[in-house]
Parts: sequence; structure tokens; C-alpha cells
Amino acid sequence: MKFKNKLSAILGASIVLMASACESFLDVNENPNNPEDAPISGLMTNSTYETALNVYRAGSATSNYVQYLASPNPSSGSDIMDQLDFSGTWFNLYNVMTDLNEIIRKSEESGANHYLGAGQILMALNLGMTVDLFGDVPFSESFNFETVTPAYDDDQILYDQVISLLDQGIANLQTESAISIGGDDFIFAGDIDSWIKFGNSLKARFLIHTKGSSSYDANEVLAAVSGGFTSNADDAQVTFFEQRFNPWAQVAINNENLLLGGWISEQFIEALDGTSYPVADPRLPLMVGTTDDGEFIGVPNGAGRGDAPEQGARSTLIPGQFYTSEQSPILIATYAELKFIEAEAALDSDPGRAYEAYLSGIEAHMDMLGVSEEEKAAYLADESVSMGAGSLTLDDIMKEKWVAMFLHPETWNDARRFDYGYKDMTLPANLNPNLNGNFIRRLAYPDSEVSRNGDNVPEVTLLDRIWWDQ
Amino acid sequence: MKNSYKFTLLFLMSLLTSLSLFAQQTISGKVTAEEDGQPLPGVSIVVQGTSTGTVTDIDGNYSINVPDSESVLVFSFIGFESQEILVGNTNTINVVMATEESQLDEVIVTAFGISQEKKSLGYSAQSIDAEAITKSRQPNLVNSLQGQVAGVQVTNSGGAPGQSARIIIRGINSLDPSADNQPLFVVDGVPVDNSTIESGGTPRGMSNRIADINPNDIESMSVLKGAAATALYGVRAANGAVIITTKKGKSGEIRVDFNSSLGFDKLVKKPRLQEEYGQGFSGERNDSSFWPSWGANIAEENDPNYVYQDNWTRAFDTGVNFDNSLSVSGGNENATFYTSIGRLDQKGIIPFSNWDRTSAKLSGTVKVNEKFNFSGSMNYTNSGGNRVPHDRFLERMMYWAETQDVRDYINPDGTMKTYANTNPIYDARFATYEDNVNRVIGNINLNYSPTDWLTFSYRLGMDNYSDSRTEITPGPMGIDGEVALSSTGFLSENRINSRDLTSNFYISLQKQWNEDWNTSLRLGNDVFERRFDRVTATGSNFVIPGFYNLNNTTQIFASQGKSMRRLVGFYGDLMVDYKNFLFLNITGRNDISSTLPVDNNSFFYPSINLSYAFSEHLEMPSWVTFGKLRASWAQVGKDTNPHILGATFVSPSIFPLNGQVGFSRNSTFGDPLLRPEQTTSVEVGTQLAFFNNRANLDVTYYKSNAKDQIIPVPISDATGFSSYITNAGEIENRGWEIVMGGTPIERGDFRWDVTANITTNQNEIVAIREGIDQIVVGSQFGYVGSTVTMILKEGRPYGDIYGSSYVRPDADPDSEVLDRSLPQLIGANGFPVRTGNQLVLGNAVPKVFGGLRNDFNYKGFELSFLVDFRAGVDQYSQFDNFLSAFGKQEASLARNDFRVFPGVLADGSQNNQEVWLGQGVGPDGVDYGAGYWRNHYRTTSENFVVDASFIKLRNITLAYNLQPNLIKRTPFRTARLSVAANNIILYTPWDGFDPESFSAGAGGNAVGFTGLGFPGVQSVFFTLNLGL
Repeated sequence: MKFKNKLSAILGASIVLMASACESFLDVNENPNNPEDAPISGLMTNSTYETALNVYRAGSATSNYVQYLASPNPSSGSDIMDQLDFSGTWFNLYNVMTDLNEIIRKSEESGANHYLGAGQILMALNLGMTVDLFGDVPFSESFNFETVTPAYDDDQILYDQVISLLDQGIANLQTESAISIGGDDFIFAGDIDSWIKFGNSLKARFLIHTKGSSSYDANEVLAAVSGGFTSNADDAQVTFFEQRFNPWAQVAINNENLLLGGWISEQFIEALDGTSYPVADPRLPLMVGTTDDGEFIGVPNGAGRGDAPEQGARSTLIPGQFYTSEQSPILIATYAELKFIEAEAALDSDPGRAYEAYLSGIEAHMDMLGVSEEEKAAYLADESVSMGAGSLTLDDIMKEKWVAMFLHPETWNDARRFDYGYKDMTLPANLNPNLNGNFIRRLAYPDSEVSRNGDNVPEVTLLDRIWWDQ
Repeated sequence: MKNSYKFTLLFLMSLLTSLSLFAQQTISGKVTAEEDGQPLPGVSIVVQGTSTGTVTDIDGNYSINVPDSESVLVFSFIGFESQEILVGNTNTINVVMATEESQLDEVIVTAFGISQEKKSLGYSAQSIDAEAITKSRQPNLVNSLQGQVAGVQVTNSGGAPGQSARIIIRGINSLDPSADNQPLFVVDGVPVDNSTIESGGTPRGMSNRIADINPNDIESMSVLKGAAATALYGVRAANGAVIITTKKGKSGEIRVDFNSSLGFDKLVKKPRLQEEYGQGFSGERNDSSFWPSWGANIAEENDPNYVYQDNWTRAFDTGVNFDNSLSVSGGNENATFYTSIGRLDQKGIIPFSNWDRTSAKLSGTVKVNEKFNFSGSMNYTNSGGNRVPHDRFLERMMYWAETQDVRDYINPDGTMKTYANTNPIYDARFATYEDNVNRVIGNINLNYSPTDWLTFSYRLGMDNYSDSRTEITPGPMGIDGEVALSSTGFLSENRINSRDLTSNFYISLQKQWNEDWNTSLRLGNDVFERRFDRVTATGSNFVIPGFYNLNNTTQIFASQGKSMRRLVGFYGDLMVDYKNFLFLNITGRNDISSTLPVDNNSFFYPSINLSYAFSEHLEMPSWVTFGKLRASWAQVGKDTNPHILGATFVSPSIFPLNGQVGFSRNSTFGDPLLRPEQTTSVEVGTQLAFFNNRANLDVTYYKSNAKDQIIPVPISDATGFSSYITNAGEIENRGWEIVMGGTPIERGDFRWDVTANITTNQNEIVAIREGIDQIVVGSQFGYVGSTVTMILKEGRPYGDIYGSSYVRPDADPDSEVLDRSLPQLIGANGFPVRTGNQLVLGNAVPKVFGGLRNDFNYKGFELSFLVDFRAGVDQYSQFDNFLSAFGKQEASLARNDFRVFPGVLADGSQNNQEVWLGQGVGPDGVDYGAGYWRNHYRTTSENFVVDASFIKLRNITLAYNLQPNLIKRTPFRTARLSVAANNIILYTPWDGFDPESFSAGAGGNAVGFTGLGFPGVQSVFFTLNLGL
């Protein structure tokens, strides 16, 4: 008996020992590569960087629609406004919003009001860009992982949220913060005043989109403008790095290496070389390259380059210019843009203010590019440019804004609001037949969304408009 | 090629046809079987030394003419011992024939290295021996299984030295695009690593780690296919297991074996190319044009500076393969040893590609006394080489002008010589990627039997390797006017360390209850650990050109990836044997895995299998030597990869930037409630042998369902994650495996053995997950909208390739599968109209594959050949897509022709519009722009998803073994000379390089993309084996 007891005691003990040894032996699954938590500053670094890239990505998606760029190949999908798959862009927009959601959550917990405010402004920007591209998109059921198939929210309601996020962000930036932003912020390096101006400038941008709607109030826009950027030095931008080149610079480098891209639309060349407008624009040689013979020749959208060879026969983005140097900034929002928004908002009520803002916008962009004072003066002196306050039209503002916003996705919003009414802008050759002779009005929902969240994705065509584009 | 295929068939058929001839004097009689006295029909009777012969009739009677009374008649029949009888002066000779001694006590090595009688197995298993392994001189052990085992598909990922080969048993079992669907490899009872770690960036054709093992050291390999066979190895063998047994010393004299083999490789196949047009565009010559072959007609130019350079032949070298190994083995009754060293040097067909392997092995067994014995082995390997960027090589070959000499690639100062484009050979030479693997595999086995019914066994195994990789792309040399490979240059140092430890303790109990009943029970514990660590440092921008050290770069990025996985298993295995004809085997195993959530990490799974050797039980006709029915049902659990649970943050590799490190939430989320996945498989089969094993047949039907799969489900990015690792989905594989073999002829010194195997596989994705339509396995680039994607969808088989196609007005709008037989829609411009709608254009998993092996032996001469095939398989030919973009394919010779595309116009009428295929303004005055191939043909994926079936002469070997009377005069025990040829394509509809090569490498599942893979090679080997 005793022996049996002992035996079972030993057996029992050894089983317990073995079991606990086993448990600790197997407890090795904590991730040694990816931490379970990340510092708020690291999230800010990546969010500012990726937001700039999102501006590039959206710009890359839309630059052919607004005929900045044209494909060297005939009937290229982006030229002819085909239905294309923007799964990558969609992923990146939501990826940044996911991180911004983390920043907002963490900074609320820790009283880091400046991070909170900056996070809200960046959230407003990324959400606004997403809505401007796609219309209804998921947001209210996003990021918390309560469902794998989040519902789509109405785009107009999301716009209210964009404005509300901007207001909250501006307010939060004006309070004390438990933690200060610093070099982890690639846009303003922690300069809170600039963040506040940025918030106001974005508010002006998103409000001007609603010009066609009943809720639009020009004074609201002008109020936002007055809190916005006051010079080029305030511009929201991310300057690129020795280790990581500006993506447009990369396009230009790749094109040099025969990975073709960054070819300039004939529309853009002709608008600036004196063909479509009476005056040759001194900015053209600072923005794009020439042929081997020193000429500016664009490619008609949708038609392709014809018999022209890969190199030297057409204007393309070339490395080393303002938009295409390795360490050029990606411009997120600029003083020049704000001036054109001001001009548009004031045009009806105060043509004098509108005209001043219009001229300031041109000057700001020329200064940015480093146009010489003489050339600047000569251009501004041309009466087709300085037509006087009484003669300024929306067409003039939109044309100059189009030039000043080169490669920026905001131009597609303008183009849709303006019904692609730029002078001489025609439908591309080989237009996508499903558009029935019309310009594209939105992007299609990406394939990734259709295959993963198909029941919720709204049925749309490329002619269905975003709520503000009516 | 087609002709040689036909020729082989004819050759085979003529061998099958027996010879019959005539003679003069008559002898007659009857042949009966000794066993039952019944007459034997079909017995062959030959007059020795002549070709005169006959066979017995249905009653066993025969009659034959012989030249004289000195004639000797040879009676032979499959399964019986042959007899030689002197005719003498009689006219009647009756013969009683005795059955040949059976060779059926076939054993096979199963789980834990246990040799088991094959008849006791309730599942199908097949093994191949040392000779079959080394005959084809494949440096990679996995390749030696090619075509030899039913249910096992082995695919060379390419022809690079040391390049990986992929092995899949009974189909793909996981919906996870990144899952390793390959079996577990077990060497002498210890699982070893067979992962393939591909290069980052451009593909380089890396090795699967089994390539570290010297095939000359292998005694046998058996393949355990179903879950039943592998329940004892646990989760890691859910895809089957390959059990490798290495050579051991034998008691007796010390034996020395030397083997030397020299082989040569050349391109097995290349696409059909045009040789008439040179550099330029639109039919115009331009000697610095980017366009390699849209230029002028070479003959019309008639200029020695504008001639076809035959670059596609000249760019490739003859590969060389030199393999030497020496082994010494021996021992006495109490101890044996085996030791070997081996060295393989391989030089590939792409210039500057090479790989070598040095291996050393020492193993021994010691029998201390009747109760205790132990053994151990240690295997060291150093392997590696320079892995050329084959994908880029072929891409640059594609861009390289056909009228420029590709071999003239370097200037005296070392810079690249080029007209404009990057020279592929210069790149292959200087953009290097070298790996250097040091690996030690060791094991110790202890066995203690205190009584005759009880044994304690312990086995400890270790597999440890370091893989050091250095990638260099030089920057500019600083010489005026040079064209550099990179504007900065970079150096990347990769250090990989991996260590597997396996501990296995088990108790075997054996009991013979009475004459009829015998049982054996095995209970054990199994512990596994893998530690993996990879550190990468990349420096770019060399300060001093040509000095390759990280200290000499201006920017350095570093990254690290670590993992640890542990498994603990407990198992039991009960075998009941009734009268040696009925065998019941029940197993159970419980695994606990570190990779699963603590609450779900312990899981049990059972198996049961039954074998009924009816021929040992029932009375059978004498010609039935053996017959068995078998059935099995098994489950196997599966865990997942380490460190995937929950949500984490990652620091993207671009950081640090400006001294800042960014973080982002990982877009993969691992379900914290993950459960083990479960595969249930059933198989039934029969094994039959006739005529004393002269003919045999083995048929198996299998079906397996992998449920509750742990897969990364792609989810809406709007959730905050893109991928949710959870239990979802089910995949089913089912099919037949048939193995037939026999010895059709054994007459005197001549013997002919034949084995054939054929496998069918049907795969179905039964379910993915509610609300989730598809999983993308991978995609491959094609020009202007011809990119293809491998997608998994519910109700469809694994391997569907989706892409763009031509519009077919009559197609069922709801069908996802392209029907190529329907007429195409022709547009107003006269060309077929394309649609970007993604349709299934083909499927990349073969539906049927198999092999046929023939061995002929005659007095020391051996001739053998192995033919294998696969059918019902399509692949995307990216190469063809590129060829058509650049006007290099033979079809583009029609560039100045008119054509009417067959099809219908939008109004339903037949198209009869002639269009010109060339570039620019055609003779009809119409501007055709960049021409048919660039504007139309290359834009449609349909044109490039092609049947990739093949029939290959996998190996043919002619060998001569020195006969005893000759060998006696030499100092050698054995001597053998052989010549072999490998991988000769007999038939394939594929136009391109070897269709077997594919882009993904052995570790990947995107098998439908051939891309610009390292082209397959055919080889010839000369081998000498000597034994002392």
C-alpha cells in the first residue's frame, strides 16, 4: 500500500512537473520581430511619410485624366479612362488611416493633444482623398475589427466627418499637449502653428469642393483661408531623402532606363508653350524635359507616341527638376493652392480680392519653381494673364491652378467640378467606349474590395459622380 | 522531337514482340507444374545457342524441331525455375517445373526508420533503391524521385547548378498561397530541413536544402504518401514523408567504393526564333536602337556589320558537372562503420553560374551486448555557388539586338561594352550572389532491450546550418563614358542560421500471444525545436569603386527576422497480426505546438489501417503469387507558423530616414482563437503479384480533405488589416495511383524488368470562407494587360490561371472559363477584339502524370531508361509574351504579310477584312502603328497560356559491370562503367525553354508561371564505379 501511495505520489508529481515544464517550454510564441505596441512618434513618422506618398499615388492615378501626363503607348488604360484596379492605392489609404486611428486612440489616452490634432488632420486628409476618388467608402465600421466586411458610409456624411475632424484637429492643436511632436513629424517637424495653418488650408480645400451644393458658404471658405498658409514657407510637404528618392524622380529615372513613364501630355505642353494661350509660360522648361532637339513635344492622350522611339523624341519628366529631383518634396498642400481657392471663393463677392489672390497664386508657384524675376514679371505683364479684376473668370483661375498643381491629385477634383472645362482639353483618343463620350467621374472600387467585401461594395459605373460633383 | 518520340515507341513495341523461328528435327512432350501437377501453358522452349523456340499449348503440350541429339532445350516460364535438358536420342521429353523461390519478403522502411514487411502495411508506400537513385546522376536527391513513384510529382524549378526541385505528394493540400506543400524529409529516423530560401530581388535559383545531401550515401528512399503513413511524425508530415536510409557498414571485409562521374549539360530546348530581321524598328535598321529585332531584313542589308549573331546559342555555355565520392565501410558482428567524402562541382549553362558541394559522413553501429546497441552518424556539408540572375539574364537577352554580338561584352578597362542596352553576360558576371552553406546533420540512437519483448529506444537528431550570402552589384568604376550596372552599386550581406533539434523516446512492446496472434505496441514522446535567425545588412554607394565591404558604403540598412517553433508529441502505435495474413494497425498521437493559442495548442488525431493478405489465407491458383487488400483512414492535425497570433506593429524596411524609425500596424492579424487544422484521408488499394512475382500490380484510390485550414484570408483593407489568419476553407484531393511492374523476359543471362506508374489527381476547393470570393496565389507580369493571376475560387481546382482573352460573342456570359473553341469577335479595324475581363485560361496542376522504367541486363551489361510524362497542365509563357513584344519569335517572320483573322464581326457576319501585320504604314496605306504583335497579340493573356504537357526521356543509362572472370585479374571487387543521358524532351506542345522550369522556386506554389526561369538542361554523364 505504502509503496503504491509513494509511487502514485511520485507519478503525480512528475506529471505535474512535466506538464508545467512543457507549458513553459512551449511558451515561445511571442513575436520576436514585430512588437505588440509601437511608440506614437514612430506611428507619426510613418503616417506623415505615407500620407505624402498617398498624395503621390493619387496624383499618379489621376495625372493622365487631367492630361498632365500621357502614356507613350496607345490606348493605355489611364489615358483612355478605362476601368483600372486601384487596389494598391486603396490599401495604402486605409493602411495610413489605420495607423492614424492608432495615433488618435493613443494620444487621447495619454493627453498628447498635439499628436491628437495632427492625427485628426491627417485622418481628414486621407479620408477626404479616399472619398474624392471613390465616393461611398467604409469608415464607421473600420479599424476596430468588429467585422471582416465593413459597411460603406454615405460620401456626403463622410464629408461632414472630414470637416469635423479638421475642426477638432485645429482645436486640439491649440491646447497644451502632454507630449510634443518633433523630428518624427516629416511634414512640419513639430511646428504646431504650421499644423494649424495646414488644418485650415485643408478645410478650405474640402469646402470649396462643395461649391455646387446647398450647404456651401463662400464665407466659410474665406474664413478657413484666413487661418491657412501665408507663404510658400508654410507649405505642407515631405522632403525626400538621400536613401529614398522622391517617387516622381524615380519615375523620371526609370524612364531614362527605358522603364517608360512620366511622358507629358500634348495638352499640357500646348497650354504652356503658347499654343493654346497667347503667352509662353516660363515655368515649362523648369517642369518637364525637351526632345533631343530642345523642343517641347507632348503625346496626345490615348494615341500613344506613334513611331517615336523610347527616348529623345518627346517631353517627359526628367531627373533633376523641381518636381523630379531625388530629394524634391512631395507637395501635400501649398500656399499657391490656397490662393487659388481664395480667388474662386471670392470671385462672386469680391472680384478685387479674387484677382489679387489669383496673381499671388501664380507668383507663389513661380517662386517655388525659381522662375527669375524678369520672366515672372514678363509673364504677369501679359494681358492674357493680368486681365484685371473685372475680366477675371473662373476659367482663368482654373487654368492657373491647373499649372500650379502639376501632378497633384487635387486637380482631378477641380477638373470634375469644372467639367473638364480647360481650354482645348478634349477627350482622349480611343476613349473607353463605356464612357459614351464623357470624361471619367470616379474610380471604380478596387478588385481587392470586390473580392473581399463584395456584398457591401456599391454597384457603380465610371460615370457615377461623387456627391459634390453634381 | 516528335520523330524521336515515335521512334522510341516503335522501339518499345519491337521489344515486346517475341521472336519466333523454325527448325528441322522433332521433339515433343508435356510440361506440368510441380506444385499441383496441372499442365502449364505458355512455357517457352528454346534450343540453346540458337534462336529456335516454341511455347506450350493450352494443355501444356509442345513440339519442336532440333538440329541434333547434342541440342539442349531450355524451358522457362515466368515464376518458375528454368531447366536445361539435353535432347539425347529420345523423342519425348516431359518436364515438371518447380516454382522459383519467392522474393516477396519485401520490406520497406516506414516511420522512425522501422523496417516493416510490406504486406503488413494498410496503406500504399513505395521505395527506390540506391541504384535507381544514383543512376540519373542527379545532384539533388529530390530529382532522383522523378517519374519513379506513383502519387509523387517532382518538378525541377530550373536548370541552374544546385537549383531547387519541388516535390508534391497527392496534390496541394493548403489554400494558403505561401504554405509549403512539400513532404517531410527524414534521414535515418531524424527529420531534416528541406526549405528553399529564395533570394530577395531578382530570382537566382536557390537550392532546396536536401541538395546538401550526397546521393551516393543513400541506401534507399521510401515515400509515405497518405496521412496513415505519417501519423507518427505528426504535424510536420501532414503532406507525406520521404524516408531516407543512408548506407551502413556491413560486417566482413572492409569495403572501399569509389565513384567518379563527369557530366555535360546543354540547353534542352529553346523557343523557335526568327533569324531574318535585325536591330531597328518599323523595318528600318538602326544600330543603336533599343529595338533588338524589328529592324531591316538582314539579307537585304548585306552588310557584315549587320548579321544574325545566333546569340541564343552562343550566350549559353556547356555546363560541366564533376562528381567524385569515396566511401570506406566495414565492421564485424559487433560494430560497423561507414565513412565517405564527396565533392561535386557544377558549372551551369548561363555563364558564371556554378555550385559545389563537399560532404563528409561518418556513421557507425555498436552492439555492446544482446541487450544494448547504439549507433550514430554525423554528416557535414559545405555547399554553395554563384547564383546568376537568370531572370534578368533572359530579360536582357530579350532586349539584346540579334545583330550585335552578345559575347563581346567587356572593354579592356573592365567596363561594359555595349551599343546601349545592358549586356546580359556582363551582368551575369559582375552582379554576383554567392551563398555558402555549412551544415551538420547528426544523430544518436540508443536501443536497450531488457527482455525479448521490451525495447527502449532513444534518438536525438540535430540539423544545423548557417547560410552566408553575399550579393554584389558594382557601382560605376569612375571611367569616362562607362555604362554602369547601377548608379550607386550595393552590397548585401545575409546571414542565416537555422537549427533543428529532434528528440524521440519510445518503448516497444512485443507479444506473441499464441500461434495465431501477435501484437506489438509502441509508445513514445517526440520533441522538436527549430530556431531560425536571419540578419541582413545592405550597404550602397561604394566610396572606393570595386572594394566590396560594408565599411566602404555610404548608406547601410540592416534588418532581422527570428523565429522559434517547438512541438511536443505523444504517440502510440498498436499492430495486431493474425496468422500473418491479417494486420491491423491503430495509431494515435497528441501534439502540442508552440505556434497555436495556449487553449487550443494540444490536439489528438488517430489512424487505423487494415491489411488482408488474402493469398496467404485462401487457396489461390498457382499463378497468383501474392494478393492483398488494404484500407486506411487517418487524420492528421496541423499547426501553423510561429509568431503569427494577434496584432503587431512593423517597422517598414525603408527606415531609418533622417534618424527616425517609423512604425505601422501590421496588416496581418492572427486569430487569437486559432485551432489546429485537420486533414482526413482515406485510401483503399490492392497489391497483387503473379507468376512468382514476375508481374505485379498495385492500385490505390486516395481521397483527402483538409478542413479548418489555417489560411491568411484576404479581408477588406478598410478593416485595418488586409489579411486575417484564421480557420477557414477546405480543399479536397482525390485520385488513383497505379503501379505495374514485372519481368517480361528472363532467359538465361538476359533479364528485362519493367515498372510503370501512373497517377491521377483531382483537386477541388470545397470552401473558402463566407463572404470571401477568392485567394490570389500570385501573378506574373505580361505586357499591356496580359498579366496573369493564379486565383483560388470555391468549386474550382487549385492552379487556375486567370487573364485577358479575346471576345467571343457566343460565350456564356456567366462562365468564368474561356471556351477557346468559340469564334472570336473581329473589330472594325480587322483585328480580334480583346477583353480585360479575367477568365480562366488554363490550370497549372497536372491531372495525370507517371513514368515508365525499363531495365535490361545481359551478362554485366545494363541498359535502362526512364520515361516520364505529365498531362493536363497549362502554364503562362511570359517568355513568349516578351518575344512577341520584341519581334524575336519565328511567327513574326510574317511581319510583311497580310492576314484575314478568322472570326465574326459585330453584326454576326464572317470577317473577311485583310490587315497588314507590320509596323507603320502598310502597303494598303493604313497606319498600323507598332504593328500586330505589339499592338494586339502581346496584349492578350490567352495567347500565352499554353499546354505544358511533356513526355521526357528522364534518364537512359548504359552500363557495363566487369564480369567475375575479368575482375579476378584486377585488384577490384567490382568495377562498373556507365554512360547516361538525362532530361531529353520527347514530346511537348510547348514552344519555349523546358516547360518544367517555373518561376516560383520549390518553396512557392505559383507554379503556373514559367517566366524567365533558368532554362532546363539535358545532360550526358560518364561514370566509373570501383569497389575494393
